[in-house]
Amino acid sequence: MPPPDAIIHPKNEATGRPSLPSLGWALLCIGAVAFGGLGATLALLRRELVERRGWLRPGDITEALAYTKPLPGSTVVQVVTFLGWRLGNWPGAIVATSAFILPALALMTVAAAAVLALPDAAWVRGALTGLQIAVVGLLAAALWHLARSEAGSVLLLTVLLVAFAAGLFVNAAVVVTVAGAIGVLIDRVKHNA
Amino acid sequence: MLELVARFLLIGALAFGGGQAALPLVERLAVADTGWLTPTQFATGVGLSYATPGPILILAAFIGYHVAAVPGAVAATAAVFTIPVVLAGFTAQLVAKLKDARWFQAFGRFAAAAAVGLLGVTLLVLAWPVVDIHWALLLGSAVVFSAELRGVHPIILIPAAVLLGALWPLINDALVRFYIL
Repeated sequence: MPPPDAIIHPKNEATGRPSLPSLGWALLCIGAVAFGGLGATLALLRRELVERRGWLRPGDITEALAYTKPLPGSTVVQVVTFLGWRLGNWPGAIVATSAFILPALALMTVAAAAVLALPDAAWVRGALTGLQIAVVGLLAAALWHLARSEAGSVLLLTVLLVAFAAGLFVNAAVVVTVAGAIGVLIDRVKHNA
Repeated sequence: MLELVARFLLIGALAFGGGQAALPLVERLAVADTGWLTPTQFATGVGLSYATPGPILILAAFIGYHVAAVPGAVAATAAVFTIPVVLAGFTAQLVAKLKDARWFQAFGRFAAAAAVGLLGVTLLVLAWPVVDIHWALLLGSAVVFSAELRGVHPIILIPAAVLLGALWPLINDALVRFYIL
């Protein structure tokens, strides 16, 4: 007899590992509709993998986010890798990640080809200018959100501003690496003091 | 092609703070440094990245395609995700050893803040061609900015802006005629 909790919340427990093809198919479908960035995709993963298929527990997704956020790279993709690993080790991680990225890769390749094939007409120039205007606004919004989440102290805000100034003249890879190294140094000094 | 892969591997390895925070790295390391794309083309790529499902760094496919067609798109995409994915896999395996390492956390915090600072540079680079057409167009960017902060999705904002831009010659025509007649 199952424990009472499983009767009341039957979807609270993971029901077992999917086969690699079904894992791949699930992530392919998710990847094709994963619009709207990290938050929206996390909700989608929860709905599909936890509630609908019952492969994972809700805690798995929270954990995947917590563990992959500090790593460099696209967090959405890393959450998928983490969950894929949980469902099928390295093969699971690789199948889940490739399947998740595949629709975006296909769409973007077609879109890139389409953009290059566009005629030089007034409406095309207008559409591309409209897109540029929107992108400037969206990046300003991204800057706003990221500055609030990543520069939570005066020290980090200073890093942000210095990196901005340095970025006008110095290679970006150098700026990011030097900032990270300074972070390690400051942490060490604080810790020893 | 080798340079394409190398540059996108580096971007993946340095992308502290997630996909959006990595946009300036893409712009600095794969566009400004190389001249593979003009700022306008890059802005188009960013817009399409927001409008397609999946990770924003699929922008790598757009740039890869411009450099070496379909093989370029696949190679750049594979390269930008390789290091992050391997790290995420090991993290799942080791139950987050790296995540608990103090030095690594400190590195990540500062590197992410620096990446956000670089986003300011990218913003300038992308705003410049818009200002070059007419400074008043930035008002449109301001509208998109405040709409996004109020929770309107990019997936709505981008098609709206593209449509408005495409119809602009017609609107302009109508306005001119209206004033002349």
